[in-house]
Amino acid sequence: MYHALLTNRYLTSRVIPLIAVAAVALCVALVIIVVSVMTGFLNMVRDSGRTLMGDVVISYPVTGIPHYERLIDRIEELPEAEAATPVVDSWGLLKMPYPDGANKDTETVQIWGIDPESFAKVTGYADTLYWRPPTEQQLKTMADDDPRRQMDEQVLLDGLALRDSRSDRAGIVPGIHVSVGNDRQSDGSIRPARNGYWWMPQWEVTLTTLPIATGGGLLEPESRIFPVVNEFFSGVFLIDDKRAMVPLEIAQRMLHLDQGEIVDEEQLDDDGLPKVIGVDPAKATMVLVRAADGVEPDELREQLVGVYDAFRAELLQDNNAFVKPPPQGMGLSIKTWEQQQADFIEPIEKERELMRTLFSLVYLVCAGLVLAIFWAIVYEKTRDIGILRSIGASRFGISWIFLRYGLVIGIAGALVGVGLAYLVVRNINTIHSAMGDPPMWLAIIMLALALVAIALTVYHGRRGALMPITLGLLVSITLIGAGAVILILKDRGGVVIWDPSVYYFTTIPNEMDSGTAIFTMIGAVIFSLIGAFLPAAKAADTDPVRALHYE
Amino acid sequence: MHKTYRLGRVDVPVLKGATLHVKPGEWVAILGPSGSGKSTLLHLLGDLDQPDADGGEVRFDGRSLASMSRRARNLYRNRSIGFVFQFYHLLPELNVLENTLLPALVGLHRWNYYRRIGQLRKRATQLLESFGLGHRLKHRPRELSGGERQRVAIARALMNNPKVLLADEPTGNLDEATGAEILDLIVQQHRDGLTIVMVTHDPAIAERADRVVHLHDGRIAE
Ligand SMILES: Nc1ncnc2c1ncn2[C@@H]1O[C@H](COP(=O)(O)OP(=O)(O)O)[C@@H](O)[C@H]1O
Ligand SMILES: [Mg+2]
Repeated sequence: MYHALLTNRYLTSRVIPLIAVAAVALCVALVIIVVSVMTGFLNMVRDSGRTLMGDVVISYPVTGIPHYERLIDRIEELPEAEAATPVVDSWGLLKMPYPDGANKDTETVQIWGIDPESFAKVTGYADTLYWRPPTEQQLKTMADDDPRRQMDEQVLLDGLALRDSRSDRAGIVPGIHVSVGNDRQSDGSIRPARNGYWWMPQWEVTLTTLPIATGGGLLEPESRIFPVVNEFFSGVFLIDDKRAMVPLEIAQRMLHLDQGEIVDEEQLDDDGLPKVIGVDPAKATMVLVRAADGVEPDELREQLVGVYDAFRAELLQDNNAFVKPPPQGMGLSIKTWEQQQADFIEPIEKERELMRTLFSLVYLVCAGLVLAIFWAIVYEKTRDIGILRSIGASRFGISWIFLRYGLVIGIAGALVGVGLAYLVVRNINTIHSAMGDPPMWLAIIMLALALVAIALTVYHGRRGALMPITLGLLVSITLIGAGAVILILKDRGGVVIWDPSVYYFTTIPNEMDSGTAIFTMIGAVIFSLIGAFLPAAKAADTDPVRALHYE
Repeated sequence: MHKTYRLGRVDVPVLKGATLHVKPGEWVAILGPSGSGKSTLLHLLGDLDQPDADGGEVRFDGRSLASMSRRARNLYRNRSIGFVFQFYHLLPELNVLENTLLPALVGLHRWNYYRRIGQLRKRATQLLESFGLGHRLKHRPRELSGGERQRVAIARALMNNPKVLLADEPTGNLDEATGAEILDLIVQQHRDGLTIVMVTHDPAIAERADRVVHLHDGRIAE
């Protein structure tokens, strides 16, 4: 029972063990924070796939898949598939309502023609519509002057239907960051600029598309005015910044992918016009498919490969179908979201593994720290060890004091580290935005503390001892430096590490990776213990006579 | 007993056949010049060190220490003997009460801790009070005078009610008056039946013992 007493006293009567606890804690926190953010990032990439595109995408860009309705019917017969939806995608120009005056801004957008009802079944579209009355839950944390407090259900319904109910016209739903009038707040909410004046759903935009002829040449641009009915906020910056949704049929028409007639210029019909010899069906450039519950995207993809071949075979036999679907591989691809994003996901996964491995070195730091500190303590405590042996302590008992000591430092460090990591990870977005706009009070506090430190240094240093002067100067300089850095940052407009246009998402992932946390904690404890082994063995081997003999 | 130290490549024989019998309740003083091996002899008696191989043995109550298990020898140091050193050897991080309690804590299994600790604390406190240290219980050793520290050391040695007290120049580091007080304490314990082996180089102190032996050239002479 004397072990606990001595461990406590050796721990609390000196500063070094506290430094060891702090060092272990910092190491542990560092690993957990870095790996958590990377894991969160990967999870966000994966989840966003489902939100934006469903599980599997069949795509045939530009020309589009003819008779896609028949393909979708076949897909929906599959037990592995929950739903499928056609999409027409292309690029377009959006003439924005701003600024006031004649010269309006133009944004390049990726235009998606969707069938809202089936699209919402395949993707998370319905949940991404931003303008809607708040839920009870949201109301609790929502700012008092948030414009969503005033909203009624109609704006959401219009967004879901892609239709402006007031004018009964087809509407457009752009991503939230397409308009520069939407300012993101530090709490993640959106405020339209000029006190709601630039709230998009009360404006109209003009969409211009460049349809491409079957042969590949550009046709005359098509323009159309749309009322904005809502905006979507998927959290994926690259999408929210670039994409706009319009009804499928309208997109097909504007891109000349709608149903048409095939004529033979050589033959004339009864009215003297070129003779109609067949129908050119409407086309979709993508078919998005959602897997049924519990079905892996890869499983679904394999099924879809077969379904597509059967669909194509059927149409090749069909003499009424003039336009045949392309074979797989010739520009037509069937990919899961992960495959589509592989170039993006794989390097991050590798990087995360690299981080995990590199940061395992942290354990060695823990072990080394504990070893060095304990070695010094055992050396200093040689006489105590001799005394304990003289009153009957066993060799194991002596080594247990130091092992226990290592255990305490490891556990304390691991717990403090996890706590620290949790705080940082949970508040990482706040911390990050504070770095982008450093608070003035922090600089003032730093500089005030520096003054206090200088005063204390002068007070304690007046007798000429070097320790307090050195320590005081170090602390003062650090504080002044920290204050200065904050002021400089403020002057420069802050640092933005997480640039959403680079990192894809508007917010930094803030979930702690609990698996990593547990492993890192256990690792830190084990390695602290390993660090304590050698000093403990040295303590056990201490010859009591020598330990007592020399004063 | 024989005891030889190795200094580098040179063997330094310190004890060369020293024999000593101590009867229960007896007070033996060992006199000898500095460096004659008095402390070494005491360390062998207290199992802090062992005689040379084939260099004789220490018997306690008829049992040879060499034949005992490690555990039994830990127990021997813990229960049967009490050590008092010239330089007190208190643990600086522990206060007076904790230093005194230490041998009891070392011998105490954690399962018995909560059952026994109150009683042990009481014994340590009484012991310290009887040594005039009642007002010093929470003090650290560095806040005490030399005489007070040695009294704490004696209290610690007596904490587990040992049969034998091994004292290595207990007054060697103290002034005459304080040394006399410490000696009175030891005499008192002897009167209560404690067996004492005391090393000293002060003949005046040795005179108060039941028997004086001289350590000379590695051997004991009466
Ligand atoms: N651990 C040791 N290693 C080597 N020599 C030692 C050791 N302990 C004691 N000695 C030597 O043994 C001799 C006797 O020492 P010691 O028993 O302390 O004498 P005393 O107590 O009579 O002054 C001295 O010469 C001393 O240097
Ligand atoms: Mg000596």
